[in-house]
Amino acid sequence: MRTLLRKIAFYLLTAWAAISLNFLIPRIMPGNPADNLINQFHGKLSPSAVHALRVLFGQSNQNLWQQYVSYWHSVFTGNFGISYAYYPSKVSTVLGQSMYWTLILVTICTVLGFIIGTVLGMLAGWKRGSWLDSLVPITTFLSSIPYFWFAIIMVYLFAITFKWFPLSGGYALDQHIGLNSGFIGSAINYAVLPAVTITIASIGGWLIGMRNMMVTTLSEDYVRLAEAKGLSKRRVMYTYAARNAMLPSLSGFAMSLGFVIGGSIVTEVVFNYPGIGSVLFKAAQAADYPLMSAIFLLITVLVLVANLIADIAYVFLDPRTRES
Amino acid sequence: MALQPAALAEADATAESSGGPNHLWLRLLRSPLTLSGLVIVLIFVVLAVIAPWVSPYDPSAVSDSTLVGPSASHWLGTTQNGQDILSQMLYGARASMFVGIGAAVLTTLLSVLVGVTAGYIGGIGDELLSLLANVFLVLPSLPLTIILAAYLPHSGSLGIILVITVTGWAWGARVLRAQTLSLRKRDFVEAARATGERTWRIILKDILPNQVAVIAASFLGTVTGAILTQASLAFLGLADVTQWSWGTILYWAQTGSALLTGAWWWFVPAGLAIAVLGTALSLVNFGIDEFINPRLRQAGIGTKKAQRGQVSAKRVRRVKRRGPAVRRPAAAPFTQDSTDVVLDVRNLRVEYVGEGGRTPAVSDVSFTLRRGEVLGIAGESGSGKSTLAYAITRLHKPPAEISQGEIHYTKPDGSTVDVLAMDDTELREFRWEELSIVFQSAMHALNPVLRIGAQIEDVIVAHRPGMNAPERAARVIELLGIVGIPADRANSYPHELSGGMRQRAMIAVGLALDPEIIVMDEPTTALDVVIQRQIIEKIMELKDRLGFSVVFITHDLSLLIELSDTIAVMYGGKVVEMAAADDFYRRPQHPYSRGLLASFPTLGGPKRELTGIAGSPPDLRRLPSGCAFRPRCPHAFDACAAQVPQLYRIGAPGGGSSLAACLLHTDASPDQAADPAADPASDPKTDTAAAAGAGDPHSETTPNELATGETR
Repeated sequence: MRTLLRKIAFYLLTAWAAISLNFLIPRIMPGNPADNLINQFHGKLSPSAVHALRVLFGQSNQNLWQQYVSYWHSVFTGNFGISYAYYPSKVSTVLGQSMYWTLILVTICTVLGFIIGTVLGMLAGWKRGSWLDSLVPITTFLSSIPYFWFAIIMVYLFAITFKWFPLSGGYALDQHIGLNSGFIGSAINYAVLPAVTITIASIGGWLIGMRNMMVTTLSEDYVRLAEAKGLSKRRVMYTYAARNAMLPSLSGFAMSLGFVIGGSIVTEVVFNYPGIGSVLFKAAQAADYPLMSAIFLLITVLVLVANLIADIAYVFLDPRTRES
Repeated sequence: MALQPAALAEADATAESSGGPNHLWLRLLRSPLTLSGLVIVLIFVVLAVIAPWVSPYDPSAVSDSTLVGPSASHWLGTTQNGQDILSQMLYGARASMFVGIGAAVLTTLLSVLVGVTAGYIGGIGDELLSLLANVFLVLPSLPLTIILAAYLPHSGSLGIILVITVTGWAWGARVLRAQTLSLRKRDFVEAARATGERTWRIILKDILPNQVAVIAASFLGTVTGAILTQASLAFLGLADVTQWSWGTILYWAQTGSALLTGAWWWFVPAGLAIAVLGTALSLVNFGIDEFINPRLRQAGIGTKKAQRGQVSAKRVRRVKRRGPAVRRPAAAPFTQDSTDVVLDVRNLRVEYVGEGGRTPAVSDVSFTLRRGEVLGIAGESGSGKSTLAYAITRLHKPPAEISQGEIHYTKPDGSTVDVLAMDDTELREFRWEELSIVFQSAMHALNPVLRIGAQIEDVIVAHRPGMNAPERAARVIELLGIVGIPADRANSYPHELSGGMRQRAMIAVGLALDPEIIVMDEPTTALDVVIQRQIIEKIMELKDRLGFSVVFITHDLSLLIELSDTIAVMYGGKVVEMAAADDFYRRPQHPYSRGLLASFPTLGGPKRELTGIAGSPPDLRRLPSGCAFRPRCPHAFDACAAQVPQLYRIGAPGGGSSLAACLLHTDASPDQAADPAADPASDPKTDTAAAAGAGDPHSETTPNELATGETR
């Protein structure tokens, strides 16, 4: 329990650091992006929007501390101002529309990638020296491919050449968003290619990490004892070797997750998937700073929550962390 | 850990140190994968450097031949504006590699600075720096990079390098901190500190050189990561899109709708180049990984090769199926004239198969274990005693291989099975049912994530499918009771028990199926003397009560003399002396045994000088000719270098008999069968032993006086 409390405290601290970083970055960056942005709109921005932009870049009458306090206020109320890329929509509305697409896609892909990669890694470690070793260079190659380029190839092959899957978007435009079978079926159809891309590209990292841990674990005394006990091969592999080998994989979840999410964001752009990634792309193109920082915060919070879940799973899997 | 051939590991270490550190690195190149990775990386580096001279066109120059596929004039085709893609790729390699290497250099510098500082200074500074690293580690780096890059509009390579450094230093810093922390506690660093060496000199001379492999791994990883990040940023249009890089090519391909027009030559080469370079860097990194962690080089245990490799000689299976289990008769006290053999090992040879040939770790070992007997096997580390223990149960792993010999096990019903001929299923049934093992370190031998009860129970589940859950639970509690562990401890995890209790739990696991033989591999070495005594007494009490036979392996000779019926001494992979414990103690025949006995003190008896044995255990890969003990032997004479001594049977006046492999005893009868169960009265030669035993300074002390005279 104390371990968990400490973890939660750590993530709160990290969230605070990220949010404060987000406050600081616009204020310490060189140049004058606010004026650039205001000029881009050629006076079409409402006075309140101009004011909000100046506040974002610290060009207000308040001192730094007051700015910091009101910044926190807006974080908690979810008031991130107005998006310029989707002018005049509010940032919170834009995010509300796009985040579920990404959330569902990335969650499923991450879990799938973790499970498939870990299982394959377990087998490759268990049967090291067999044909499964060839998985290592293959997956190394797959995980060295930039996600977005892999996505381009997938689109080129399966959407353009074979026409098996739709080219881009999140659902057929003749469907109405909602819990009806037509929409869900169409959404799944549109999600297959992006999902396959992200999953395949993320398997490699898990596989190689798990395989190396598995090989290391196999020379532990407790695995040899399990063999000496005459237990079945499956029992030795799962309960003795893999069970212990996957612990470092889980604790390395944080780093890998950041990588997978980063890759997924860029992948969405290729598929023109209506998730956060595409929004971030548009925001970056239009220098829509309010939207960008809100997306950064959102992703950070999601990653922290995912890490907390991984940590809780870790505590359940490793009794040594449950020290009273 | 202790399972791998200690002797070989030591031999490896010496071979490496004699070759010097430069040769160590050369080993990396032996792996074909690592080598090809290195070659590919070098090719890319060279291409990036010579790009301006070899590019056929100016990468930005437009021409009339738009969107043509690969041809003789444009090897990789052209873009929408008629630009040559090959030239763009070559110039792109410059920018991509510059960002990759530049970011890796800066990131690694920052990692080393933070990691080593944190690890070395410790205290509050360390806490703060590690906290900072951990925070940066969980922050999703790509979104952060995108934000930072977006605020630096059209940032060139330098801006991107800075951004990648800021977001990417944490991982390396964390790994290096952990390493520095452990290095700082090592003796050589402590020694340097004690002599007042300056901090920066210690870090430069003692700490950093030991981290080269980790630093290199983190450097190469960052190169890959930075190239990928740069490509992503450029692809998103967040880098300077007028500067050619692989990412920029993809950006223009995307905005130029290369996908829709089917101009695959436009977007394929850039991505492929990134992937190939990334793969090559990873391959080099794997080489470094295997170098850091030698276990990665071993074959897995699940492969057919590993299973087959265990026994190299083909065998005919003799006994097909196991008959009904016959419980052995009630425990009868063991006597030296017993002929009730349980385990018969003959001419066993175990070799480690390596690139440099085969190294015998156990050669030509024969012994018999009789029902109820305690056979003690003594020897220094590297003498082959642990390898022998694992070979008996066929638990040795590649590269170890039984190349010769026979192991026969006799069941309580009198039928005999050939252990080396068993298939997987038979072996699984044989293990633990007939023969169980107690490992040296219960801490490492018990699965850390399973409760003690479950680790006993899974043996019962595997071997007694008929037993139901309550019966199993009752048996677990019974077993814990036998070794003196309270029943409620069944629900404890290994780390929650004290060292002594863990070792007793280990013994309870060993007793679970009431086996005929228990092999104990230094079961008490890791414990303090008081607990050691309790465990030994427990083992002996259980042996008398349950009537199993024991193979007890240790380097602690005094302990062995006290508890064994028969003692075998191993040296250089061979048994050099075997005798009843009493005979061995009173009349050690082999010079090595005498040396061993003379190297530890007795509690009672007259004071005497401890002599020990000069020299060190032999390198199994370079055994001296003739007798392996020759270089350290005070009695060595010319013939010792020429002839490998056999085991000679030496009778004793008291009626006992010993076997010793020493040319001092050539006039005794050779005994290759090495069967101490043979009737000693039939051996007429008794005088030699008396002669050899004479002059032994402590031949009149009794074994009990040695009881607590532990040497280590």
